[in-house]
Amino acid sequence: MPDETPEPSDAEAPAAGDAPAPAEAEPEPEPEPEPDPRHVELLARLDATLGDAVIEHADALGNLVVRIRNDAWGRFAEVAKSDLECDYLSFVSGIDWAPAPKEGGDDGGSDTSSPVQPTEMTFGAAGSGGRFQVFAHVQSTTKLWGLTVKVDVDEADPAVASWVSVYPGADWHERETWEMYGVRFDGHPSLRHLYLPAEFEGHPLRKDFPLLARVVKPWPGLVDVEAMPEEASASEPTSAEDATEEPAAVTEGGGA
Amino acid sequence: MSTTETPAGVPSFELDRNALRHLADAQINVELDTGDMILNLGPQHPATHGTLRLVVRLDGERVLAADPVIGYMHRGYEKLTEVRTYPQITTLINRIDWLSSFANEVPFINAAEKLMGIEAPPRATYIRTILTELSRISTFILFLGEMGLQVGALTPAFYGFRDREHVLNLIEGATGGRFHPNFNRIGGLKDDLPWGWVSETRSVMKMMLDSCDQFEDLVAGNEIFHARTKGIGVIPGDIGTAYGVSGSNIRASGVDWDLRRDGEPYLAYPDLDFKVWTHADGDSFARYWVRLQETRESVRMVLQLLDGLPSGPVMAKVPRIIKVPEGEAWVETENPLGQMGYYVVSKGATGPFRCKIRSASFSNVSILPWLLRGVYVPDVVTILASLYFILGDIDR
Amino acid sequence: MPKPLTWLLNYSRKYSLWMFQWGLACCAIEMAAALASPRYDMMRLGVIPFPASPRQADLVVISGTVTDKMAPAIKRLYEQMPDPKYVISMGSCSNCGGPYWDSYSVTKGVDQIIPVDIYIPGCPPRPEALLQGIVMLQEQIQNEGIGNDQMRQRWRGEPVVIDGPHSAPVELTAKPDSEPAVPVA
Repeated sequence: MPDETPEPSDAEAPAAGDAPAPAEAEPEPEPEPEPDPRHVELLARLDATLGDAVIEHADALGNLVVRIRNDAWGRFAEVAKSDLECDYLSFVSGIDWAPAPKEGGDDGGSDTSSPVQPTEMTFGAAGSGGRFQVFAHVQSTTKLWGLTVKVDVDEADPAVASWVSVYPGADWHERETWEMYGVRFDGHPSLRHLYLPAEFEGHPLRKDFPLLARVVKPWPGLVDVEAMPEEASASEPTSAEDATEEPAAVTEGGGA
Repeated sequence: MSTTETPAGVPSFELDRNALRHLADAQINVELDTGDMILNLGPQHPATHGTLRLVVRLDGERVLAADPVIGYMHRGYEKLTEVRTYPQITTLINRIDWLSSFANEVPFINAAEKLMGIEAPPRATYIRTILTELSRISTFILFLGEMGLQVGALTPAFYGFRDREHVLNLIEGATGGRFHPNFNRIGGLKDDLPWGWVSETRSVMKMMLDSCDQFEDLVAGNEIFHARTKGIGVIPGDIGTAYGVSGSNIRASGVDWDLRRDGEPYLAYPDLDFKVWTHADGDSFARYWVRLQETRESVRMVLQLLDGLPSGPVMAKVPRIIKVPEGEAWVETENPLGQMGYYVVSKGATGPFRCKIRSASFSNVSILPWLLRGVYVPDVVTILASLYFILGDIDR
Repeated sequence: MPKPLTWLLNYSRKYSLWMFQWGLACCAIEMAAALASPRYDMMRLGVIPFPASPRQADLVVISGTVTDKMAPAIKRLYEQMPDPKYVISMGSCSNCGGPYWDSYSVTKGVDQIIPVDIYIPGCPPRPEALLQGIVMLQEQIQNEGIGNDQMRQRWRGEPVVIDGPHSAPVELTAKPDSEPAVPVA
């Protein structure tokens, strides 16, 4: 994308394939940037083949994200391979949109190392129907386009069709997704553990699977770190270390 | 035989014709009724490049079925990224592909910068490209030497390690770490290059070209190497892409696809003039040959980058505490091992909500059950060496 | 055993350690650089890295992350080594879990499974650090059996009791308004 400086407060700002400009305090809204012609072509072909199985689509910073119906997942693989000419499978994985439980319990507030995520369940590009989604990315090595496709799976009994007959590489990706999220892939030859030992219980990437080491003990490096200047001035220090530590020279560049 | 009379005092026994059949047949040279053997290679084995376990069912020396068992280096990266801040993750993801560590940071930092709408200054972009190409050279030089080791030659491995030291010296001079530099920051780099680094790099690049010539003579020109690698482990292009094989492996099968040229533009590659090398055969020798040519190409790219290195700052203006706005970003890059991608889902916190790491070796190794059917056991080692995976990249 | 004989035995043992090639992760690359590159040549210390089988090795350097899936294999291979055997834990992953201390699949340190003699910190430790660790191990071997019972313990495969100035636990609670834990002498 060519780097164009936006005209300051000009009503007729040209928008030839511009990425939305950073906040320049323009009173008029920027005209819609022209959509990527590859995305237009992909959506047209999807519309012709899958029709209303496509629920929603979005452009996530240059990447086309499409959400389709659960029963169309298997058909999508065939469509992608033949009509969309996407011969390359990048990955198949899952997302759990549930909010992350607060690490360390309610009094883990002094653990500034772990990022605090929002507590409401919100969804990302192209939305979601529930907590679990399976998403995949396919690309074409000849047409040089690609798209990410998402599908909702039921929370109680997550299941979706398998892509192994079309993209044999999906074999391992689906095993990994089953192992990490518990999503069943119908049609997969042998859905067994890939990374973890056979006696492992639970599905690690689900948000309600705790990292026990962090629950038992906060990040060991915490005792050496003084509070950030904003937090130290905003709230009184919670522990003796914070109160009497001399603030050392803080280095630039975003320390950990 | 059973019809004759047994004399008194000698225990009589019925001769079992079935049990004797094997003995009789062995004298007449007929196909023996043997069973299959299960051979377990690894997880600790000099040939498997790390903790990969390969369970193969053999018929004599031929492989009937192979089942790679991975997960012996699974450290749970995707879960760990959910509880770490962006600078902490940069430290961690160095160690996914631990030979070319700098290249792992680049797609993640690019994704975070895309979400924040920050662009690194041109000098930082150029230096990032130089360091990425240097890590590619160091990885490939090691590969050129170490594939010789896997087919039985000890000397190329020493040459590989020796030549790699020169490049590691450069990376250490710029970043402070031989590998795992942890040099990228959101918005640029941690530091600028030291004095004299540019001229030192130029002389090391000339050394690397000599080294490549040496490998071409010593290994690629060796007739034993040809006999061991030509025609072994052929991956057809369309099957390779369906499995997700990427990088030099798929280019050695004739698929002309390189993300530095064909993907979304990233780093300084749009300014560079380079050739993408492909080979039509798709066997192990082709994969070796493509990586050899790509090493030379990377050397030329580094020299171009050094000539065009712009001046200026190396860090853009970023807030003190990095909070990345809501959104999703997918960035894929051409890493030495193949296509590496990060799908970062952010919800406005100091760390990502979900970070899917697409690593190249995972897909490269997933083709093994298909590829190893009907191969001899020594060729299994050759194929593993030519695919060039790193366990940290498979298992994350 | 009389002292000069012990000294000679230890001297000859420490300079001919046969190292079992056990590289797990990134530290293995530094270990390989220490072995194979002519710059940090480990063979000049007498450490020969040839045995690919544990049954002929007396030293194993665990370099890299130890996962729960790999732990039984490590235990089995350690038990296959004949006594007296030594273990060096290289890198922070095998010392204590390292940067993956909170992962669900990582063993927090290989000393949860096998006894370790020398810990080498670093992520990854430079090859020179590995060389220093080996030199330290050689000093430890040299001092075995003279004045302590370690040699007998080792040759029988018993747990080795280290008797030294740091064997008593040191309290590491550095309260800011109190004396530092270790007196600055």
